[in-house]
Amino acid sequence: MSNVLQEIEQQIAKLATKAVRKNTGSIISISDGVAKIDGLSDVMYNEMVQFPGNAIGIALNLEEDAVGCVILGDVSQLKEGDEVTTTGRLLSVPVGKALLGRVVDALGNPVDGKGPIAATETNPVEKIAPGIIVRKSVSQPLLTGIMAIDSMIPIGRGQRELIIGDRGTGKTTIAVDTIINQAKINKVGLASGDPKFRPVYSIYVAVGQKNSNIVRTVAALEAAGALEYCIIVGAPAADNPANQYLAPYSGAAMGEWFMENGMDALIVYDDLSKHAVAYRQISLILKRPSGREAYPGDVFYLHSRLLERAARLDGKGSLTALPIIETLAGDVSAYIPTNVISITDGQIFLETDLFNQGIRPAVSVGLSVSRVGSAAQIKATKQVGGKLKGELAQFRELAAFAQFGSDLDAKTKGQLDRGSRIVELFKQPAFNPIPIELQVATLWAMQKGYYDALPLAKVNPGAVSLREFLATRRDALLTKIRTKAALDAELEGELKSACDEWKNIFSA
Amino acid sequence: MSVASKKAQQLARRFFQLSLVDGAVSAERVSGVLEYVEKSRPANPLAVLKAYHRLIAAEIARSSAVVEHAGELPATLLADIAASLSKSRGRPITATERTNPSLIAGLRVRLGDDVYETSVASQLATLRSAV
Repeated sequence: MSNVLQEIEQQIAKLATKAVRKNTGSIISISDGVAKIDGLSDVMYNEMVQFPGNAIGIALNLEEDAVGCVILGDVSQLKEGDEVTTTGRLLSVPVGKALLGRVVDALGNPVDGKGPIAATETNPVEKIAPGIIVRKSVSQPLLTGIMAIDSMIPIGRGQRELIIGDRGTGKTTIAVDTIINQAKINKVGLASGDPKFRPVYSIYVAVGQKNSNIVRTVAALEAAGALEYCIIVGAPAADNPANQYLAPYSGAAMGEWFMENGMDALIVYDDLSKHAVAYRQISLILKRPSGREAYPGDVFYLHSRLLERAARLDGKGSLTALPIIETLAGDVSAYIPTNVISITDGQIFLETDLFNQGIRPAVSVGLSVSRVGSAAQIKATKQVGGKLKGELAQFRELAAFAQFGSDLDAKTKGQLDRGSRIVELFKQPAFNPIPIELQVATLWAMQKGYYDALPLAKVNPGAVSLREFLATRRDALLTKIRTKAALDAELEGELKSACDEWKNIFSA
Repeated sequence: MSVASKKAQQLARRFFQLSLVDGAVSAERVSGVLEYVEKSRPANPLAVLKAYHRLIAAEIARSSAVVEHAGELPATLLADIAASLSKSRGRPITATERTNPSLIAGLRVRLGDDVYETSVASQLATLRSAV
């Protein structure tokens, strides 16, 4: 009974507290989710402020006689003269493994109808990126499962690799494929019981997307069994610009939790063009001076402070970022694309022409680059794909010249033939990432001329058939390639005998 | 903000500085400023006077506390509150009272942007948000 009495006494003590001090202000005006507030003399930059009716805001403009706030939540009940109070807190979102498999909004509230999230920790949405001392250079691969990328434009854990291209060129597909591949690797790695295995958790941030697109992505991840390793942060087109502006930072806060707790995470920002547009809208309503294309002066800082939060930390984990930028008519020299290109450690450029020719993923080898380079590749991939990028670039150059004349020497014809075979080999359907050991085997067979006798149209089906053959009949060989991560004479011998056997079956 | 309104703000701030005597608003100085504005007619007088009004109102709000209460107020409480606030803020502060039955019981003291509250209404609101 004494416990009951103690509880009541505690409740009385709470009610009998001393006077509470609040710093207040009143709404002067509200427009498009942005409020001007008179008062709030103690408010700090980026501080959360409380509006009536449980709506919260963030103080973004601290002016001499007014405070400009973006409002997160329902603004329909707010009116001029309403009291606003400071909270003394920065905006925070729930973080941790409890969020895996869930779809949340920009504030971390669940929107998937699966009930409340049992997260015990929160992280501030805005945080200073890790400094120089705590960082470590990128050297561990983050495999996308896309052969053209893993062999020619490798991505490492902690890298920022931009995916850029016009609308409908497969940017989101590459990101989703990468998330699915991480889930597949996680399942195999965790099942193997290897204590050194480090799973990669994914965060997909949808900014300004159609709700139907977000649903499609969630369905694709669920169908591939990847949702359990993934957090979806959604700020769809119908959401207010404040939520669209905040969503990438919320996602980064969730990703940082994994990084700071010794785990690896991948974050996809889909897409930062719409994020910049949302920020431009907020800035214009806040009456901030506008610059090029009406974007505010700090639009570079908007993205640089976000992408700098992706890092590989010494003695801790990593956060890899895959920002997406949508271009107009392939113009990579526009304002936002050039900004993000200069911030990131490389870009995967997708071309509309290639996409329309049926070359999917439509990766432009000439314009795509990974500044981390082969440091983030396993030895086996370097052995079989080290020269591929050069060969393919040479092929594109020769193919352009070959259009003007038919009298080609045998060497040029050979190079063109080989190039077109590589292009065929790299064609890959959506949501179908290829494990790295199968990629190595496929490229090894190409290097050794196993597809040379096949007609061009049969190269891709041939490669698919080889992968099926190896997956079903040579599982032990694939495990060896995966664990050794390099091709030695013994493995090459085994690969040769397997490929010979496949060739006999396939040509029969 | 346009150049004209910026200049109006600057002028209003100068008038505001001139209106203070020992850190408090002087009624005599305010009358002097108003007389000067009427005579000299500076550019954009309406904007200047509006900005001046806002600054003076904010300053008065900072130096005069409004004590809201639901029931009877002890005779010396108003003076005690004024003395306590004057001590903590390091400037003379006056206190005026206002009846507010919506507090149910207790007090709410408003001084400038700051609100000190110890009322049953606020505690019920805290309980409601906690449950």
